[in-house]
Amino acid sequence: MSAGPASTPLSGVPTVLASHLSKSFGTREAVSDLSFSVSAGRAFGLLGPNGAGKTTTVRMLTGLITPTGGDVTLFGERLTHQNADALRARIGVQTDTNLYETLTVRDNLSTWGELYGLTRKAVARRTDEVLEVLALTDRIDSLVGELSKGMRQKLSVGRAVLHEPELLFLDEPTAGLDPEAAEDLIDYLAQMIRSMRTTVIICTHQLHGLEHLCTDVGILQAGRLVVAGDVAQLLRRQWPRHRYTLTVGGDRERAAQVVARVVGDVEDSGHNAHVDFSVDDHAQVSALVEQLVAERIPVRSVVPQEPTLHDLYFATIDEQERP
Amino acid sequence: MINRRRMWAVMRKDWRELARNKQAVTPLVIVPLLFVVALPLAVILLGDNAALTSSVGGLQAFLDHLPRGLIPGDLSERQAVVYAVLIYFMAPLFLIIPVMIASITASSSFVGEKERRTIEGLLYTPLTDRELVLAKILVSVVPSVLLVWTSFAIYTAIVDLIAAPRLGGVFFPTWTWVVIVVVLAPLVGFLATCLIVAVSGRSSTMQDAQGAALLVVLPVIGMVVSQATGLLLFDITVALTASAAVLVVDVGVYLAVVGRFRRERIVTRL
Repeated sequence: MSAGPASTPLSGVPTVLASHLSKSFGTREAVSDLSFSVSAGRAFGLLGPNGAGKTTTVRMLTGLITPTGGDVTLFGERLTHQNADALRARIGVQTDTNLYETLTVRDNLSTWGELYGLTRKAVARRTDEVLEVLALTDRIDSLVGELSKGMRQKLSVGRAVLHEPELLFLDEPTAGLDPEAAEDLIDYLAQMIRSMRTTVIICTHQLHGLEHLCTDVGILQAGRLVVAGDVAQLLRRQWPRHRYTLTVGGDRERAAQVVARVVGDVEDSGHNAHVDFSVDDHAQVSALVEQLVAERIPVRSVVPQEPTLHDLYFATIDEQERP
Repeated sequence: MINRRRMWAVMRKDWRELARNKQAVTPLVIVPLLFVVALPLAVILLGDNAALTSSVGGLQAFLDHLPRGLIPGDLSERQAVVYAVLIYFMAPLFLIIPVMIASITASSSFVGEKERRTIEGLLYTPLTDRELVLAKILVSVVPSVLLVWTSFAIYTAIVDLIAAPRLGGVFFPTWTWVVIVVVLAPLVGFLATCLIVAVSGRSSTMQDAQGAALLVVLPVIGMVVSQATGLLLFDITVALTASAAVLVVDVGVYLAVVGRFRRERIVTRL
């Protein structure tokens, strides 16, 4: 994934390439100068608070609405009104749009399978596979209106992946799911990405569980992409030093002095048995532990505190909102 | 290039939904039955009874304006009234049936999808604008045509089995009726549906679409009323000319509806 002025990566054609995308509705600018690309087999988290422009971005990327400025390229082909329908055949979209409540689970899925050109046999096979993964097999002949909110949410994801799309858009895919169902769904998506090199774009502001899925991230704030890139690189850029929490059995103050002497960076953890510190190099931690042991300070644990996508999201939003 | 399988998927889905909607299906069946069973039976059994002619709107005016030359000379006054009503007065009612059905099914299938927030899902699929619009039109036109033809078969049976023996032999259907039912009624149904779909793209509730559709189908109703009041009587020439004219309008309106269809307008007005 790359951000800033859009450019085709050196190796291979990106699945999605947004170049200086803008969209205005009257005088209101919903999205402004958005540029990023997502390569095959990557999961891109499009994050942002409500009204940040996520839905407008997805609608532009799928050809539902026409950008006021800029271009979209999908699978190496510039998206136009003429080729949008053909390109959509390679895309699956799950949004907060409703399913057909007076139809059964089977009817909802078979309609979608036929719309995407699956044969009757393939529809039946994929329906069985998807419902098994989503633990909905026993509800195949239930009316969708009789399903719980979580079941409908799973089914809407199942409908989007039924035709095994090359590019998948998901909108808050785990919203309303219990933790176990959310984990199963994330595992299934991870497997799709690994085995079929599916490109996934996830719009969300609920990061829990999706952090491990997203390899790339873009954070939208008021229609502008304020941060975009590889998650690991962005985290390293935001927090260049490695953070640890040391727990000692003895005198915390003495331990803090040793930490300050060896690694030179101590933070106030606010806990009387913990010492938080940062290092440039993980090797410094071994030296620290040796010194603590030498000074007869009992070391209970030294735990790395790696920052997460969640931390990055809130740090970015806070920075943007700061005057 | 139109993908018929994709269109069929949309049509089958809509029909399944419609079949489960008893509120929508009931009037689709009952109203045509009233037209083709109750009304002709009343006319056949009561003839020129004053109570009947005064209770059916426009019937007296129709009888007053009817040229006598259109009625076979060997029929009595009472038989002439029955013959005139069955052959001329009833004909335009078969044009109301597809318009009525279209106003229920078309508004339900298109604006209904907007109301139920299911339309955006369809717009993300590979369905082309032409396929989506044509599928939504056919979803309404096909059942309306089938209902008109079924109604016509029932009407023919009633007229031939009950009226014909009283009027001296089988006289129905006439060629004018065949043209009206087989050609003109489907074309009128297509036109009404196209117009409702066109209005539906801008409406956000079924009531809006149906209300606007009523205004749009006024010319059709005007044609029906003019026939019923004896101002314009359908003979084979009028029926064929009207069919040709409606066909031209159908093509023009359909192309305009497809040409003006914008996914953006739909998703941004949800």
